Amino acid sequence: MTVPEAKRQRRENMLDTQEENAHSLDSSSPQPVETVTYANEDSVMTDSSQVEEPETNGHIVPLNSAEITTALESCKILVIGAGGLGCEILKNLALTGFNDIHVIDMDTIDLSNLNRQFLFRSADVGKSKALVAAEFVMNRMPGVKITPYMGRIQDKDEDYYSQFQIVICGLDSIEARRWINAMLVSLVDDESPESLIPMVDGGTEGFKGQARVILPTITSCYECSLDMFNKPNSFPICTIANTPRLPEHCIEWASVLEWPRVFPDKKYDTDNPEHISWLYETALTRAKKFNIDGVSYFLTQGVLVLRLVYGKFLISMALSAACCNEAFKIATSVAPFLNNYMMYTGNDGVYTYTFEHQKKPECPVCGTVAIKIDIDPDMILEDFLDVLKEKPDTQLKKPSLRTATKALYMQAPPPLEKASRPNLVLKMGDLVEDGDEITVTDVALPVSMQLKVKLITK
Amino acid sequence: MTAIPDLKAQKYDRQLRLWAASGQAALENANVCLLNATTTGTEILKNLILPDNAIVDQKDVSSNFFLDTSCIGKSKSLAIVEYLRELNEDVKGHHDERSPEYLIVEEPSFFDQFTMIIATSLSDTLALKLASICEAANTPLFLVKCLGFTGMFRIQAGENTIIETHPENFSDLRLDMPFPAFLEYVKEFDFDKMDSSEHGHVPFLVVLQHYLQVWKAAHDGKLPASYSERNEFKELLKKDMRSYDEENFEEAISHVWRLASTSGVPSELKSILDDPSCENITKDSTNFWIIARAIRDFVQNEGSGLLPLPGKLPDMKADTKGYVRLQQIYRQKAIEDYEAVHSRVQGLLTSVGLLSDAIDSREIEEFCKFASHVKVIRYRRLEQEYLTEPNTTTICQWLEESDPQNNIVHYVIFRAADLFVKEHGSLKGRDEEETVQLLEDCTTNVLTSIGIPNNKAVALTTDRLKPYIINFARYNGAELPNIASLMGGLVAQEVIKIITRQYIPVNNTCIYDGMNATTATYVL
Repeated sequence: MTVPEAKRQRRENMLDTQEENAHSLDSSSPQPVETVTYANEDSVMTDSSQVEEPETNGHIVPLNSAEITTALESCKILVIGAGGLGCEILKNLALTGFNDIHVIDMDTIDLSNLNRQFLFRSADVGKSKALVAAEFVMNRMPGVKITPYMGRIQDKDEDYYSQFQIVICGLDSIEARRWINAMLVSLVDDESPESLIPMVDGGTEGFKGQARVILPTITSCYECSLDMFNKPNSFPICTIANTPRLPEHCIEWASVLEWPRVFPDKKYDTDNPEHISWLYETALTRAKKFNIDGVSYFLTQGVLVLRLVYGKFLISMALSAACCNEAFKIATSVAPFLNNYMMYTGNDGVYTYTFEHQKKPECPVCGTVAIKIDIDPDMILEDFLDVLKEKPDTQLKKPSLRTATKALYMQAPPPLEKASRPNLVLKMGDLVEDGDEITVTDVALPVSMQLKVKLITK
Repeated sequence: MTAIPDLKAQKYDRQLRLWAASGQAALENANVCLLNATTTGTEILKNLILPDNAIVDQKDVSSNFFLDTSCIGKSKSLAIVEYLRELNEDVKGHHDERSPEYLIVEEPSFFDQFTMIIATSLSDTLALKLASICEAANTPLFLVKCLGFTGMFRIQAGENTIIETHPENFSDLRLDMPFPAFLEYVKEFDFDKMDSSEHGHVPFLVVLQHYLQVWKAAHDGKLPASYSERNEFKELLKKDMRSYDEENFEEAISHVWRLASTSGVPSELKSILDDPSCENITKDSTNFWIIARAIRDFVQNEGSGLLPLPGKLPDMKADTKGYVRLQQIYRQKAIEDYEAVHSRVQGLLTSVGLLSDAIDSREIEEFCKFASHVKVIRYRRLEQEYLTEPNTTTICQWLEESDPQNNIVHYVIFRAADLFVKEHGSLKGRDEEETVQLLEDCTTNVLTSIGIPNNKAVALTTDRLKPYIINFARYNGAELPNIASLMGGLVAQEVIKIITRQYIPVNNTCIYDGMNATTATYVL
């Protein structure tokens, strides 16, 4: 079998599996409960929806087969991110036998990266993460080709992303994941199976994390599951030290840098109001210096208490390995790959929950149905914008709204913003009618979103 | 100039978040030994070195990521130690060329110097010997196996007591049994005289308690006890809301369900407080048990049936001043309770002839804070699992469960593979059919050795385990780098939990299946 044939064969195999997945979507399998419960010593955590899969009990391809090597060698894989997760992913992929790896990261190496990101040394501080990581792995693994790119994922276009067979993410940015997810969904062309590029994604938050496989347009996509993630709450040390923007940055500065400087022998106690008050005052002084609003006692406490629980740690090692294992199975068809979501928590023993996350028909990225939204006709447009910003499944920042016939409010360009600004104080009932579709665009939203209006008087 | 501490704080920024200072100190003093630096072993070591300053010993290093072409001709274990030290210059690494077998059989005292032993790919025979060495020296032991898509680790760590379990979302609000100082504070609020801004900023705990007092006055001093009474109570709150979405009242209403349970000693803690180790305090008792006993005595006396107050409040709608005040009241009560426990600890220490300040007050404080979530794990010895008391019935039940993803099957096959290697040599490069057949025989033998009757063992092997045996044979004895890396992450995490005595470690075996991406934990 020639390489292109092998590729096509693999695609077809994959599509077969997908068809089965599609069936299991149809069959009224119950939506798995997403609340995490902890494993008792003697229980096994699995989800019954996996049981029907015919391959689960099937046999794997012997691990010493030549076809595995061939498949890995013909697979071009893109790694997004060269930080904690990314370093692990690069090392694992190279060891697995992938030998055409590309990596994108826009960041440079910071001192605080050294202890977790094991491909970097003191001498590398200030250099590109992507370049140093690529060089390090190539040095250790002769024969592996790693092509680094230092820059933003948004710098690259459809042609660039279409060259890959798998995209694997080691990111801690929700925005970047939303963007690449939307990009991969937009690439899918029903006529060409090659256009379907699986995305493997891993993420961590303290002792929690997840690994998942997204088959764009076929399984649930990143945007479908957006409401499962909270906004990230850890910040790079350089931001804290030099360029604070958010009130949280000032609080981090007070606790991470100022407290140890002023009280070198004492650890602050998050339950001691005097300690929190000191940190709050210190953060507030800094916030004033930088004209940052929003530092409050509550926020101070919130940020500090979370600090002790969340952060990134060994979980990222385990989860990036889990992601690479899925990439290995996808590339070689040696065994069925994850369908489609594995959740992990590690504060009480080791606990995983593997389940099929359901596709959302009204997903703005991969769905086909407009989101239905109830609107009080007496609510003014400005308040409606706030409602949209607070919706956990959309997480908008600066939404612009228009209907088929007129602009309701546009954030940019300035003349349009100015022209549409008077609408902000108008009642929704005067701006839209029952059954109208509102198109929403936003910096956080990689594509536009359709809202189907239903006016309901409260 | 404090450049050095600042740099260190930055470098360990993330770890400090998770482990706090006490954990970091425990890590810095740890002395970890790795036997057989397989791919999995090196991954574990790498993960341990990144976050801590453990001194590392390792032997018999095989080829992996940390070796490059310049290492040829050098001792492998030396090369690995050098590379790993590059990762963290503060780490002291040693390597040893002697074989694990030699050390276990001929020089068991070698292991006395370590705080933790991790062995990868050790034969079951040697593992049993090492386990009894570790048991005698009271050294925690991790046994790790990793082949193909499957990996498992077993912990033997004697008695593990954990104060800082880091429970999520925990708070002890004492809604049903408010303490006097808090009740006094609640009386300061005159709800009728407040303007709507003040009314909307009364912390919900105060709101709830105020209305509970109103309710009690009308109901013979009783709290709303049933579901319908609690709904009635909610209506009482709703009636007095100044606007339909007054946040603090909404928070109060959302906490009404908590009245369904009463404050007291949770059952898991009760069994700890009733434990003989808690009853019989001697000068050899550990800090944990002495504090536990002081807590028990506190509950029976000053506490009037209640644990010391943790003094931790959830976030709630309130103004800064009001919230801080409430926080101070809770904290004051927590300090009083802690002081009572503290003096009981001192009394206990003196009564068994120890110095009254032999236990650090921070430890007592932490215990008081986390009392309802402290944990005791008594690990079964490997000898019990293999020889003296195998869990025959439960293993048999797990195996008979219809769920094909029940990872216990991999445990049996790992043990069969050990027997295979012992009797027939390496799993690598053999004819698949022959491997499968021999592995089947080994599997049946393992099941019989666990105590399962022969006919049942044969049936389980053919009906239940065969597909997994075939897959295992197809691993061809290979360690997959991703699975090794994953096990490296999981094991390092559990090692750190045990060293720092924070968070809850696995009891006692964790099995990962990389085909289905599932883990499962068993007490074996």
